[in-house]
Amino acid sequence: MSTVDNLSERLELLQGTLEVLILRSLQMGPNHAYGIGQFIEHHSGSEFLVDNGSLYPALQRLLQRAWITAQWKTSPNSRRAKYYRLTALGRKQLLAATSKWERFVEAMGRVLAPKGVGRA
Amino acid sequence: MREWWAKLRYALTGRRAIPDDLAAEIQSNLELETDDHLARGIPADQARNQARRHFGNPTLIKERAQEAWTFPRFATLLQDLRYGLRGILKSPGYSLVVILTLTLGIGANSAIFSVVDAVLLKPLPYPDAERLVWLGESHGKVEGISVTWGNYRAWKKYNHTFGDMAGYQWNQFTLTGRGEPLFTRAIQVDNAFFRLVGAKPVLGRVFTAEEDRAGTQRTAVLDYKFWINKLGGDRGVLSGTLDLNGLSYRIIGVLPPGPDFHNMAVDFYLPMGLFRSDSEPRTQHGSMRVLGRLRSDVTLATALGDLDQIMQRLAREDPGTEDDHRSAGKFLIDETAGDVRPILWLLMGAVGLILLIACANVANLVLARSATRSREIAIRTAIGAGRMRLVRQVLTENLLVASIGGALGLLLGYWALRALILIAPKGIPRLAEVGLDLRVLLFTAGLTIVTGVVVGLAPVLTAGRVDLTSALNAGGRSGTDTKRERSFRNALVIAEITITLVLAFSSGLLLRSLIAAQNTSPGFVPARVLSLELVLPGASYQNPQAIQNFYDRLLDGLRTIPGADEVGAVYCPPPKGDCGDWWYSVLGAPVPAKEDVPLSLFNVAGPGYFETMKIPLREGRTFTSADRTGAPLVAVVNETIARQWFPKESAVGHVIKYGGPYMPGATFEIVGVVGDVKQEGMGTVPYPEIYRPFAQDPQQAMTAMIRSVGDPNSLAPAVRRLAASLDHNLPIQRLVPEESRMASTLDRRRFATLLLAIFAGLALTLSAVGVYGLLNYWVTAREEEIAIRLALGAGRSGILTWAGTAASKLIAAGVVLGVGAAWAASNLLDSLVFGISPRDITMLSAAALVVIAIATFGAALPLARATRVDAARKLQRA
Repeated sequence: MSTVDNLSERLELLQGTLEVLILRSLQMGPNHAYGIGQFIEHHSGSEFLVDNGSLYPALQRLLQRAWITAQWKTSPNSRRAKYYRLTALGRKQLLAATSKWERFVEAMGRVLAPKGVGRA
Repeated sequence: MREWWAKLRYALTGRRAIPDDLAAEIQSNLELETDDHLARGIPADQARNQARRHFGNPTLIKERAQEAWTFPRFATLLQDLRYGLRGILKSPGYSLVVILTLTLGIGANSAIFSVVDAVLLKPLPYPDAERLVWLGESHGKVEGISVTWGNYRAWKKYNHTFGDMAGYQWNQFTLTGRGEPLFTRAIQVDNAFFRLVGAKPVLGRVFTAEEDRAGTQRTAVLDYKFWINKLGGDRGVLSGTLDLNGLSYRIIGVLPPGPDFHNMAVDFYLPMGLFRSDSEPRTQHGSMRVLGRLRSDVTLATALGDLDQIMQRLAREDPGTEDDHRSAGKFLIDETAGDVRPILWLLMGAVGLILLIACANVANLVLARSATRSREIAIRTAIGAGRMRLVRQVLTENLLVASIGGALGLLLGYWALRALILIAPKGIPRLAEVGLDLRVLLFTAGLTIVTGVVVGLAPVLTAGRVDLTSALNAGGRSGTDTKRERSFRNALVIAEITITLVLAFSSGLLLRSLIAAQNTSPGFVPARVLSLELVLPGASYQNPQAIQNFYDRLLDGLRTIPGADEVGAVYCPPPKGDCGDWWYSVLGAPVPAKEDVPLSLFNVAGPGYFETMKIPLREGRTFTSADRTGAPLVAVVNETIARQWFPKESAVGHVIKYGGPYMPGATFEIVGVVGDVKQEGMGTVPYPEIYRPFAQDPQQAMTAMIRSVGDPNSLAPAVRRLAASLDHNLPIQRLVPEESRMASTLDRRRFATLLLAIFAGLALTLSAVGVYGLLNYWVTAREEEIAIRLALGAGRSGILTWAGTAASKLIAAGVVLGVGAAWAASNLLDSLVFGISPRDITMLSAAALVVIAIATFGAALPLARATRVDAARKLQRA
């Protein structure tokens, strides 16, 4: 299924970003771990490869913080799967993290932008 | 925080739920992914493979997810502890031996160290106590002579090396006017004394410079215990007085509670100057010694040199008979510990050696075990255990064992210490201060940790070098046994045997000494003798006649008590010890050089003393009533003097001069020679002694000896009544049977011998265990070889010879080294050995035999096992 063959060309996830991406993927509605991975890969234009070795521990951490909850359900193709859902606390965290991230990106951009291009 | 709580909740409750749930989740997601591939038209088996490849290693993912639910460091620690406990329980025999070994080693150590710490090491509870020194005069080889008033005043005034200096001396007084007459102890001091020991009065004041002057007013400062116990802690005492020996002393202050100076409890403090006069000659000795505090940058030797210069100058300015007297000094802490020092260091050395044996034992056991575990370690390495992880686990396991041993050891130490204090002889200084205190705890904890680490390191050194292939290939062989490890383990056992032999030899020497001391004759027959010690107060008995009258009436009265057989009196009763020795010379003998003038005990005996005590008369006669004032001065000497001066002729008729040729003194004619009496107690060497007749030298302090027909204690009530009827203001200092008094002089020796014997027994047990452990391992490692030898036709006896040779070599090496070490150590025991030579060949041979026997006993089981190896089965398995 991989579209980028050379794995080294993919972006590495920055520390702590995976949690935000998971929360974002659940904003659309409950999903299982496989679905979350697919969502992130697809929406990043396959720039991010989600390693299961990181995804599952990250899910445990979010559960521990009570930002998400989990529930076994039957999938559309009638398989039993564990579905994760955002909690109110998780939704609040996502909003906070999103705005923080936007500020971060803007600041990074401002610093990294070539001279004269940035605002005076 | 929330995360932490969730983990904790999980840790406490749902142990199983999460792993199962994760496994199911991973499985379902794998299937979801496979479904995706199938939906894209990929054939089923390919779809499954692709999904699995993309998914990654499910086990690892599950583990990592699970790890999110743990406290990582803590978890590994818990795991190590769990493994450690499992290891301990898996081989309970091994663990028990190791823990027991450590318990005994650490327990004995912490108990003895507590005592050594309190008695020898802990600073005295005074300000700058490490600079406090005890000063006396010296003359030739004699050190610690009392300091004269004149010399002391000069020292104090002209020295450049002491910050402060105070003269002190003990004295005894009879307190009257407060109920029963009371025998009390005082210490006469300078006002500087209170500064030196850091005592500030809780009531009133202490002495000032005014009280230091010779002939000052009669004042007294009370000791706290005396104030509370005898005067009821009455705050009104300051306006009161004490009647001591018939004179009235004004109470001016009360000291706070504190330790007894020099371990001598006193009831009150009196001004030094009160009893001295500036006009007394510079050669007039009392019993004053001096306490001084060195300036911070001055050594004791420099300070003594400083005082010696003052003595030399005084000798030039005011020449006299003692111009060659110099100063002598010791640090107060050394002086306080006194003669217990060698015994305590001996015990400390013994327990230190025990701990060494214990450590060697444990190291050997752990080493042997880790060798048999090398297969297990190899397998763990093969399935991916990191080296650090293994090292940590081994260390944890050993520290766990060491901690259990340490905790039990501390418990044992606590009980042992209490037992020790209970059985300890009287007169061990500062024993009251002994307790398992923080320093002892730290010492023990340090020992435990060091032991744990040392022992832990041994297997780690090998664990790192485990060669996977060879360990696995070894197959049926249960251990690897490289040359290096083998020689290390052998060295440990040899060292154990060596140390054990030293301990066995030392305790044997002490035991023989104790027996010798018990069996020697005290020089008299102590059985059925009751001794009554009295001191007549000077105020009521001012002239010699009054003293003589009192004792004459007392002895006459004692003779009439029913059950009293014979009665006599003496100034210095055995085993009171040194009641004062002095120089003497024999007229007609070559005049000795000034520093070689001999010393002798001078004692005073009343008529009937030698007969009552059954001290044998060797020559001439004892004292009679004819030896009275006005009659020619006479003396009776002991055999030591007679043999020294008159080896070939009779001593009777010769003349002795008191004070020696260089000092004024009377001359006495020797009228008799009596047997040596152990004046300083059993187990002491004879000392020259000269007796004077009581009538020619009446003493206020005398001890009446009453030999009874039956039990001497039964006479005690009648004796008390008699003494009270003669003088109802006279306190009885002591009324005890001579036999128990003499026996108690061996208490300290008995105590040291008992402890050392216990330690030697401990060492023997531990080294037997050590030999057993090593040989057991030796046999285990060679079972296969033994089987092959048996298969090739070797007999059982051949195997026994082969294994026995290996064992004998070890034991022989240990014994040879031990004999050498014991021989070298015997020098250190010199001061404690009595009646035999510390280089006693018989004792050394006996100790070597005992050690060989015990070691052989330890070797017997493994050797027997070696001959019982089942060759067929062993070779099948290999």
